[in-house]
Amino acid sequence: MSYKIPMGPYHPALEEPYKLDMICEGETVIDAKLHIGFNFRGIEHLAETRNHIQVIALMERVCGICSNIHTLTLCRAMEGLTGLTPPPRAQYIRVIMAELERLHSHVLWAGIAAKLMGFKTMFMTCFEIREKVMDILAAISGNRVNYSMNRIGGVNRDITDPASILKMVEALEGEMARTVIPIFTTSRTARSRCAGIGVLTTEKAISCGVVGPVARASGLPQDLRKDAPYAAYAEMEFDVPVQPDGDVRARLLVRALEIMESCKILRQALAKLPPGEIHTEGEKFAFITGTSTARVEAPRGEVMYSVSWKEGSRNPARVHVRTPTFAVMPAIRWMVKGARLADTPLIQASIDPCYSCTDR
Amino acid sequence: MSSLETIQRKLGISVSFVEQGGVQWLALDATKVRELAKAMNEIHARFITITAYQLPKDEGFRLEYHWDLNGQLLGFSIPLAGKSIESIFDLTEAADWIEREIHEEYGIDFTGREYEPLLLRQGETPGVNLRDVVAASKENI
Repeated sequence: MSYKIPMGPYHPALEEPYKLDMICEGETVIDAKLHIGFNFRGIEHLAETRNHIQVIALMERVCGICSNIHTLTLCRAMEGLTGLTPPPRAQYIRVIMAELERLHSHVLWAGIAAKLMGFKTMFMTCFEIREKVMDILAAISGNRVNYSMNRIGGVNRDITDPASILKMVEALEGEMARTVIPIFTTSRTARSRCAGIGVLTTEKAISCGVVGPVARASGLPQDLRKDAPYAAYAEMEFDVPVQPDGDVRARLLVRALEIMESCKILRQALAKLPPGEIHTEGEKFAFITGTSTARVEAPRGEVMYSVSWKEGSRNPARVHVRTPTFAVMPAIRWMVKGARLADTPLIQASIDPCYSCTDR
Repeated sequence: MSSLETIQRKLGISVSFVEQGGVQWLALDATKVRELAKAMNEIHARFITITAYQLPKDEGFRLEYHWDLNGQLLGFSIPLAGKSIESIFDLTEAADWIEREIHEEYGIDFTGREYEPLLLRQGETPGVNLRDVVAASKENI
């Protein structure tokens, strides 16, 4: 006989507002339905009441983890409507901020995943490392969460001493290579808790249109930094980790390997940071009538902004955001089917969901 | 034959794609939407999203469908005279949530599918135009 177990809307493991209704037989999940929208904020509609400066500050608040990515994508879309091109130094700083944000997001996720695995020492280690990433972000931008770095035509703050930031990144890389990476890639605890659990097959990943590390952990080698390079990514050498198994362990491995790839990109970008301006100073611009679309590879996958503007208008006519969690979350239904009930919090966490982005 | 020409051929149209801001755009009639979804499946393009635009006055809506083809962004602009269009959910599973979101935000009906309970605003009424609701609430203040 089957029975229903509702989990949420205050999620017991992830402490965020969404609900999963699971139909179980014994301890096995037979089917599941997801419900979101408990904290819908109407940010897209609000954006239509903000001018080109205010809208950047607003969209930075779509997400507290990848706030920089949202302003980067928005500014790239608005640059398409104004014809402004950021100078090379700004493009490099955009890469540095994006990779630091990826590091902080992945390490934060690793900590939460470790906690859900019952590996609380690792949770503390991850959060200690994450603090150091946050210190670097604060050293560059002056802020820990909403960095206010992006503007139309460039960035707001320069990296005046890349050598010192490089030292911090190298120290961080060494620490992660010693602790987080070996434990997540070789530990028996991680393996026994994650292998073969929450499988999303390649076929289902394609059908659901999942993005980011979840797609790459299901054998799909898609990454906008390689497929459609933006900012200065075309000048960076890095690999895109792909795992074929589609289980929680594959998602863990992909993110662990991406941490090291991000460090590789950071070292290159800081070492090659070109001289020059950080934004198109004093250049007058005006918005043309039309729609501009921009995509960026956020820590959780592809973010897409469509911005529509009418010439002479103070505010955008429309701002649409497609966040990665919005694309990935429906796949949870297929991941938990057939899983043990006790594994479902870890399976849900394995997509690194962001409800703030989803309920934008 | 290029991928873009293949799409044109599958849709049976002579209008060409227009490149704008890194996106290959094609204007389509609403009746072609299911053929479009089938063509995209055949060339293994990845569905990204649908963006709804409410046009000024009583001009209706415009929907923009987006797919990714090996890093190339494809955009299909579809004007809507009324407030309904055929759903592609049965052909493109990834379109489920965005169809539901647009239904709940703009009151546009994606025909031929069932809607599950609300996605955006739990406990509220489905199929309304949120802009109209906001405008009406402002008038009441």
